[in-house]
Amino acid sequence: MALVSFSQIEKSFGATKVVHGISLDIADGEFMVLVGPSGCGKSTLLRMLAGLEEIGGGTIAIDGRVVNDVDSKDRNVAMVFQSYALYPHMTVRENMGFSLRLRKESNRVIEERVSQAARILNLEPYLDRYPRELSGGQRQRVAMGRAIVRDPKVFLFDEPLSNLDAKLRVAMRAEIKALHQRLKTTTVYVTHDQVEAMTMADRIAVVNDGRVEQLGTPLELYDRPANLFVAQFIGSPAMNILEGALAKSGDSSCVKALGQRWPVESSGGTDGQPVKYGIRPEHIGFAGRGSGGIAAEVVVVEPMGAQTELVVRVADVSLTVVTHGRANLRPGDGLSLSPEAGHAHVFDPATGRRI
Amino acid sequence: MTSRKLLSEAKLWLVAIPILLWTLIPIYHIFLFSISSKDSAFSGALWPDKPTLRNFGTVFRQENFYLHHFWNQIWNSLWIALAVGAITLAVATCAAFAISRLKVRGGRTVMNAALFTYFIPAAFLAVPMYKAMGAYGLLNSRWSLVLAMVTLASPYAIWVLKQASDKLPWELDEAARIDGATPLQLFRLVYLPLMLPSLVAIGTYAVLLAWNEYLYAFLLLSHENTIPLAVGLGHFLASDDSPWEILMATALIYALPPAAIYYAFRRYMVGGLTSGAVKS
Repeated sequence: MALVSFSQIEKSFGATKVVHGISLDIADGEFMVLVGPSGCGKSTLLRMLAGLEEIGGGTIAIDGRVVNDVDSKDRNVAMVFQSYALYPHMTVRENMGFSLRLRKESNRVIEERVSQAARILNLEPYLDRYPRELSGGQRQRVAMGRAIVRDPKVFLFDEPLSNLDAKLRVAMRAEIKALHQRLKTTTVYVTHDQVEAMTMADRIAVVNDGRVEQLGTPLELYDRPANLFVAQFIGSPAMNILEGALAKSGDSSCVKALGQRWPVESSGGTDGQPVKYGIRPEHIGFAGRGSGGIAAEVVVVEPMGAQTELVVRVADVSLTVVTHGRANLRPGDGLSLSPEAGHAHVFDPATGRRI
Repeated sequence: MTSRKLLSEAKLWLVAIPILLWTLIPIYHIFLFSISSKDSAFSGALWPDKPTLRNFGTVFRQENFYLHHFWNQIWNSLWIALAVGAITLAVATCAAFAISRLKVRGGRTVMNAALFTYFIPAAFLAVPMYKAMGAYGLLNSRWSLVLAMVTLASPYAIWVLKQASDKLPWELDEAARIDGATPLQLFRLVYLPLMLPSLVAIGTYAVLLAWNEYLYAFLLLSHENTIPLAVGLGHFLASDDSPWEILMATALIYALPPAAIYYAFRRYMVGGLTSGAVKS
């Protein structure tokens, strides 16, 4: 278990700067997820922590010790790769024990640690198989087992679930989380999938274009996105964003967009200021007919069982609405929307920042 | 079978049959000579009247003037071929690992230089090679041929092994590094086992290249006791009245080890030789 601290980290590949001075502190035993679109620099950050990539500028410290010039093998980190990176010519047992063998541990210790990890990961029946004889999920577990047996200070995961099918991904997500709760090892987990980030993280760092856009717990990011990027990146289906202008009169304010008034809680900004108005699909309710809601027309109905997703049109702009349970609606039906003012977000269109 | 399929199959056979004949007729010819008696060797028949294995006995008992050093020479051939195979493999594997996996500086230059050596035909290098070996005092030593053949085989070997190395997933190296492997451990415990098919292919290539070499062997080695059998076979043609049936029996014996090696490693040969063929 360890503290990990990134301080003013920079990195360029040739003339392209991919990480712009990122600073980030990860607490002892924390599950930190770095999430962002591909090419945002999150993997590079992880690889610099692993010692697989030179650090362009700034320092990385593990437990207070700067590791910039420390070899990968001496950093005491274990990494799980997207492609599993299992040694194809070794059995599961040999794969998992490889690092211990390199450290010249005794056979008894290796056997003990490998079988313990195998027990945790339900890999006991497969110890004498080769990676090619395993399914994707089993390989992924072997890769995790290889990390566990080392009892490292920090676990690094680089998009570990991307090669699995959707169902297995959900199962492995839970397994990794359970594993973390059991071992309580500091974990840095890189993914482009915001659902993984939301479900697994203690804290999430949303990375975009080599910068941390926002750092916080999953629900902080969800409830109070600091800017448009985070607002649109976190949450599925994505937040609806409308262009409009702030209208303030006394204590009440709203955003005028699409010829309608969209209620917001009193916030900063000035009357008439152009803004972007954001509302999550589940924060749009239905108002009774004639009760002053926003008139919309149903375009698509997607019943999911527990909830129903609707695509509706307001003045030629499509919005997504999620309603719990079943909705007795059909394409072409008219309805009246009632966005929740308390859950509306207002952003500055120029800077993208929250107002 | 549809007519279209039939047609394409027929075309394939049309190409395959001439190639097969082209390859097999000389071999059959050798075989025919080797089981004929001296009198019937030139009879022109497709099968000798009285097939005999006596020629092979003559060879094995070194009972012919040209074969007084048969066992010695075949041992030379074997010794040289295996040495060339081993040294070429060592040189090329280390070079490929350093260039492809450790990304040493100047790796590209080495690769280009290796390719460049093939612009110069081996025959052109024969005289300079002879002079160089003379300068080192290696003439008439088996080592001179071994070193010359390693020089000729290495560039291709490096090129093929480098290409094969490039195909190994990079993550394996990274995983090994994080697991605590030094470059040497990475080489021994991860790289070599995974490269085994290519190594077998390249080793076989180098062994056969040396086994079949004539020009350099003829040039660098001149003593009856140091020459490989390939040169020994050439000596048969020194007289006007060569014992062709004995020559062919010896040639057939000489051709068996390569055939056996090819057969044993054919799986690796095809995979290994094509794996380096295209830059992917």
